[in-house]
Amino acid sequence: MRSRRLAFNAFSYAFLSVGTLFILIPVYLTLAVAMKTREETTKSFFSLPNSLYLDNFASVINKAHFWSIFQNSVLITVVSLLLMLLVIPMVSYAISRNMDRLYYKFVYLLILSGIFVPFQAVMLPIFRHMSSLDLLNQGGLIIMYVTLSFAQGLFLSVGFLKNIPLELDQAAKIDGCGVWLTFTRIIYPLMMPIVATILILNSLWIWNDFQLPLIMLNRSPDMWTLPLFIYNFKSETSFDYSLAFAAFALSMAPITILYSFTQKFIIGGLTEGSIKS
Amino acid sequence: MKTRGFGPGAAFALLTVPAVVLYAAFFLVPVFIGFYYSLTDWDGFSLSYKMVGLKNYINILQDKRFLNAMSFTLLYTAIVVVFKLGIALILAMLLSQSLKLRGLFRSIYFFPAVLSMITVGMVFNQFFYSLFPPIGEALGIEWLSRNLLGNPDTAIYGVALTNIWQGFATPMVIFIAGLASVPKDLTEAALIDGATPVQRFFSVTLPFLIPMLTVNVVLAIKGGLTVFDYIVAMTGGGPSKSTESLGFLIYQHGMNEMKFGYGTAEAIYVFLLIGLVSFVQIKLLSRKEAGQQ
Repeated sequence: MRSRRLAFNAFSYAFLSVGTLFILIPVYLTLAVAMKTREETTKSFFSLPNSLYLDNFASVINKAHFWSIFQNSVLITVVSLLLMLLVIPMVSYAISRNMDRLYYKFVYLLILSGIFVPFQAVMLPIFRHMSSLDLLNQGGLIIMYVTLSFAQGLFLSVGFLKNIPLELDQAAKIDGCGVWLTFTRIIYPLMMPIVATILILNSLWIWNDFQLPLIMLNRSPDMWTLPLFIYNFKSETSFDYSLAFAAFALSMAPITILYSFTQKFIIGGLTEGSIKS
Repeated sequence: MKTRGFGPGAAFALLTVPAVVLYAAFFLVPVFIGFYYSLTDWDGFSLSYKMVGLKNYINILQDKRFLNAMSFTLLYTAIVVVFKLGIALILAMLLSQSLKLRGLFRSIYFFPAVLSMITVGMVFNQFFYSLFPPIGEALGIEWLSRNLLGNPDTAIYGVALTNIWQGFATPMVIFIAGLASVPKDLTEAALIDGATPVQRFFSVTLPFLIPMLTVNVVLAIKGGLTVFDYIVAMTGGGPSKSTESLGFLIYQHGMNEMKFGYGTAEAIYVFLLIGLVSFVQIKLLSRKEAGQQ
């Protein structure tokens, strides 16, 4: 029994180790090619770079307004998240405490029905609508992210709030708290677990999203986000692998660094969110 | 006792205002705009257009390009769902044992899921172009020595492979969560009763895994049916339109080929397709909840 167990463990390790190679080799190659000169790459795609050659990174950063694009991505992600983490709990609280009233039930079901509508079904009309409102810019993009996060956000937080007992609200009322104070002082702090899940799901979505920026911001390079930058990079440089891979590596860097510090949190939040929604 | 001049009813109503206004102005309005334009022949730029009734909807059903996109998308979805979930399940089972390096393995395997699809697509596009062919030549493998993405018959597999590389991670952690919910005493009891590993998997583990399996299948189907980023990054719908997905076709018609009205009508068909999948999902999930009570 014990020896079979050991054999199986050995098999698991072998299998899992080979598997990690499939994950790590593309990552290694991206970094390696990014740090090689053009000649080195043509000689061998696989080898380690001869020296720590960082010029490719430098020229990507200088050439393509990389910093302003990075700042755009950060700004759009952070502002969208702040807004949705305020608006979603607010409306969810109101709905969860008034489910017996027609208006709240109607709002809830109406917003929830958005789950049925894939982005591609509204992609063209969103472009048309935002263009006629003169909102094909970062502000308009933020508005769209907040709006499109409602269906899943409400589903998660209204479900969560059902488990927060009404007695808490009543006690707060007796102590003289109005609805707003009850929400900010008592309910919101209790919602932290679900707020964290919403934060993780949406930050990965917004940071990595390509489709909305493509239809809304692609025309003006000073508005680009990182995914748009990568998409447009090919046409900008007469194609140079090393530069392209330096750009790929740079665009992966922020999320990789964040992931290495918060992986448990990210994996936990994503799992939670996908299981529930 | 009123705190700020209005009662709790009004305060609750105010809390809903930002969400309701945004949702109405930026989601419901576009939905109606989309439906309206689907009944027109608008090209997306001209000042004038005609109402054409259901003509777009009827034409789409006879449009070879749309039907090709439909069959590409369905085949692609089938490939990706099977491989993604198969790999995810195997890895989840291996990563649910008590291994010393389990945490490290989990972190590495999950890493692709935090990257953007467009970047991964571009990276793999380069690999297919300049990395795999020399390997294929060296090993004497005929199909690998040409660019997989350059051939209409094989491009779909190149895109699917990329999607699988990145996409197995999320279902994997969902399966891991499911495996963790299998009660320890049940597996031990089965072990004591002398059940073989295969028996244990089918009789003890699998029943607990069914809810996660449902979630994963539905998420994977939705992901497959709406594939877009990889297509843009890797093939641009080519070669010779062999990898045009439904989402990509809508984008092309509406944004690049001056068939805005037609594109919105195609989008309504995609909505119906995904709506059906989501509906089945909710039915399945609510039945699961009922069963648990």
